[in-house]
Amino acid sequence: MLRSKPLAAVAAGLGLIVTGCSGGDGSAGGGTTAGVVELSVSTGFTGGDAPGYEQIVKDFNASHQNIKVTMSAEPWDTIAQKLPSAWMTGQGPDIAAPSSDPNVIAQYVKTQSVLPITLTGDGDSKVNVDKFASNLVDEFTYDGKLYAVPANYATLSLYYNKALFAAAGVKPPTTVAELKSAAKALTKDGTYGLVLADNNTIPMWPVLQWLEGGDIVDGKNCSVLNTAAGRSSLQPWVGLVADDKVSPVGLTGAEADALFSAGKAAMEINGPWAAAGYKKAGIDLGIIKVPLDTNGKSVTLGSTVPLAISAKTKYPEQAQEFLAYWTSKTAQKKFSLTTGFPSLRTDLADDPELRADPVVSVFSAQVPGARLYLPKVPNATQVDSEAYVTMIGSLTRGTALNDATDSASAKIDELTGCSGT
Amino acid sequence: MTVLSSVRRVTLRPRRRLTPALLFLAPSFIILGIFVLWPILASLWYSLHDWTIGAKEQPWVGLANYVELLNDSRFWGAFIHSVVITVFSVAGIILLGLALALALANDGVGNRIIRSAFFFPTVVALTSIGLVWRFLLDPDLGLVGAITRSLGLGNIGLLQSPQLALPTIIFVNIWRNAGFVMIILIAGLKGIPEDRYEAARLDGAGPWKLFRYITLPALRPTMLFGTLIMTIQSFQIFDLVYVMTGSGPLFATDTLVTMLFREGFVNFRTGYAAAISWSLFVVIVIISALQLRFFRYNDVD
Repeated sequence: MLRSKPLAAVAAGLGLIVTGCSGGDGSAGGGTTAGVVELSVSTGFTGGDAPGYEQIVKDFNASHQNIKVTMSAEPWDTIAQKLPSAWMTGQGPDIAAPSSDPNVIAQYVKTQSVLPITLTGDGDSKVNVDKFASNLVDEFTYDGKLYAVPANYATLSLYYNKALFAAAGVKPPTTVAELKSAAKALTKDGTYGLVLADNNTIPMWPVLQWLEGGDIVDGKNCSVLNTAAGRSSLQPWVGLVADDKVSPVGLTGAEADALFSAGKAAMEINGPWAAAGYKKAGIDLGIIKVPLDTNGKSVTLGSTVPLAISAKTKYPEQAQEFLAYWTSKTAQKKFSLTTGFPSLRTDLADDPELRADPVVSVFSAQVPGARLYLPKVPNATQVDSEAYVTMIGSLTRGTALNDATDSASAKIDELTGCSGT
Repeated sequence: MTVLSSVRRVTLRPRRRLTPALLFLAPSFIILGIFVLWPILASLWYSLHDWTIGAKEQPWVGLANYVELLNDSRFWGAFIHSVVITVFSVAGIILLGLALALALANDGVGNRIIRSAFFFPTVVALTSIGLVWRFLLDPDLGLVGAITRSLGLGNIGLLQSPQLALPTIIFVNIWRNAGFVMIILIAGLKGIPEDRYEAARLDGAGPWKLFRYITLPALRPTMLFGTLIMTIQSFQIFDLVYVMTGSGPLFATDTLVTMLFREGFVNFRTGYAAAISWSLFVVIVIISALQLRFFRYNDVD
């Protein structure tokens, strides 16, 4: 008896370890109870648009008796840390939005962790790929196969504080020249004219560059920041921030939003998710299209979040069925009306109800001129963090334009593998 | 019968003792092996490859990751920031902790309350501390901004300035940990026998000499412990930097661990990140060994 006690304890301990290690059965997520397939979805949607996604899941569950979808939201960082290894080892959710950065899909394709989407075609039960905005399809297609669907499609608009505009006697800008003079005129008494974030944010600076006819990389993924056009597209904005102080330097997206919410900034370029928070903060809010560029054309940033399926899910059919529902006309129309997001579907562009909605119509009207940030540029994440963000940060802190654009270009060309020809 | 059998058991024990002892240890060994030793060794293996989590082929690169690291200015920047944070933080934490411990060693009610106040930041999660400080330090919306404005200094972006961000992180790190060192030093102070002070006083020692020749030598083991723990912790600083500055502005607060995180989990360069972690490991082992050696030498002295 005396001797068997420790043995039993050891055995129990070992048992715990063994069960602890074999908890997974080697396939992702889900399970079935009484013939109902259970799918898990993991996303980082925690902003003002979150209820819109939850509604899609709720409606899907109500209309599909044989499938039950559970969606969870965690910070994007957390997903980025857990998902690559979870999907590789056949754990984790069946479906996930791996990142708010659509370029991340390339990494998952490389590690063969995502399922190619094959349930495509017409009708509500299939993924209507040919009805998606074409740049979104391109973004998620690798070697001719589609690896994710857009969970949403947002454009950026110009938010402005009506009270501050009225007090300064300034009219909302419609051209880039007016935008610049308004930013200057509205900067006074502790308020900023146009608040700009340069790190941990939805990209704002590329929009400013596009407005002036500049860009970051060309079709061969070579940097064009240090070309004449690239430099002249940065110069006026750097001047406005560094000399005229139209915005504090070095803000994150959250800090810029907080300034606008506090009524300390007259304008901010932001996506539809921000509207709810600004209204809640009591801002007398105006939303207009991003002013026209120097050629009189509309341009803004388009942003999308990928929704992909684990390559090791037990229920590839049902998971694709869910993506088909998510991107269906019915679900997307309802989603746009609740969240103010423009539609990712081209067949909803002229929908009378969406056109009548004052918020959706502003964001939708800019879809044709919207451009993705560094679409399918190799190492896009590093091009952003190591080169672009650093360049904007040093320019606004006083580094000479030529020096900053030269070193950013060298870094970008190195990262993208541009040969320089 | 029972007596006989128990006697027999006793005589048998020495020969069989080893097996149950090992079995007792086995659970710990297995857990340590699986969750500590194995990952450490696996990361060394990763660092010798161009490792991508989930990829079918992991190209062997030998020491190429380490060579690249040595030529990476970002790595040296992060290394220097880590060293600066550690040196200034540890010095600040130990000095402030010692000063607080000496001032608050007596057990009055007031002292207990003040001690709790200083100890409080140690109990709070670093992430919360980072978020609160970041909000306080916001030049436009925070308390510190309001104070600097009312003093006519304008808006000072402590975390937005590449020159001031690192000192600010160090300040918050000192503020967070000084209370912990204070508590262990108070415990150390209480362990010093009163008769040593008595004897020294009889020999005519003043307050400074009492401190220099009685208190400090007696506190040495406690200070060694505090210094060692704080050095390792400061070298591994991550949460504060990640929450307060995200390595920015312009990588001015990038540390070895934030760089490791960025390479491993944002840029998906697992092999390179593993090489960074091994460099960090080597540095910490060297520093710890030096500290132990240094303090032990003095102890013998």
